[in-house]
Amino acid sequence: MTLLTKITKPILLPHWSQDLFLSIPRIVCGYLLAFNFGAAKFGMPWSPVDANLGFFEVAFWFPNDVASYGGIFAIAPAFFAWMGAFAEAVGGLFLLFGLQTRITSFLIICTMLVAIFMQQIQNGLWNCLAAMGFLWVAMFYLIIGSGRFGVDYLLTKK
Amino acid sequence: MKKTLVIIAIIFSLLATSCVQKTYKKTVVFTLDVSEIKNVKKVGIRGNDKPLSWDYDTEMKAIKKDSLYQITLTGETGYKFTEVKFVVNDTFELQNEDNRRVDFSEKDTTFYNAKFNKR
Repeated sequence: MTLLTKITKPILLPHWSQDLFLSIPRIVCGYLLAFNFGAAKFGMPWSPVDANLGFFEVAFWFPNDVASYGGIFAIAPAFFAWMGAFAEAVGGLFLLFGLQTRITSFLIICTMLVAIFMQQIQNGLWNCLAAMGFLWVAMFYLIIGSGRFGVDYLLTKK
Repeated sequence: MKKTLVIIAIIFSLLATSCVQKTYKKTVVFTLDVSEIKNVKKVGIRGNDKPLSWDYDTEMKAIKKDSLYQITLTGETGYKFTEVKFVVNDTFELQNEDNRRVDFSEKDTTFYNAKFNKR
């Protein structure tokens, strides 16, 4: 078994209904990331017209926000902003379909940790809740993978 | 070694192709008619994009006392519009209504004329 197959193959629960139940947070969080939080700052075909974003473009204001975090973020703000927005918009789509769930979850975890500790923590715990919600969900799928109701399962079935 | 090179190449290509939305310098000349308001002491504007803010007024200057006030603002933005509201004597216009939407002209400068509290 190659490393990529190991990373892709999900852990299956004893009964399919348990996998179905646990696919709900994955689908909901993936949808919200891809179509709401991510699409607002990363150019996707369904990004709001008013955002005026080209395909795969990161919003102009986001690198400025990222640069204000200081340290390594100030050295390459465009890169980190692009990666963060990509993890939300494209990662969210992958999470929704259960495609490369563990790799996607890892990217989302990194993004949410930055969002919590570099962006929101100074605004109080309440403002961290959205990012924390996505963080918990992504941590969970980093371990179990997509379950039966994801593309990863179909890809590694045999 | 080969894997490391591939990872470096991927990171480098991502860095090189990271694309950020283009921004443009836009100037808007806001002119506000307050002739229907009595006892005008202070006229300001608030909005979405820098140098404006929703937290404090940016003062407008009288070009015709008690009647017309104006301000010229320049900012760097990637959007094709901005949103504002005017404030007279510390009172917001269009309360519980949507903000005014100012669509930028294709040219560098946009002229926006408004009457206080009227669409």
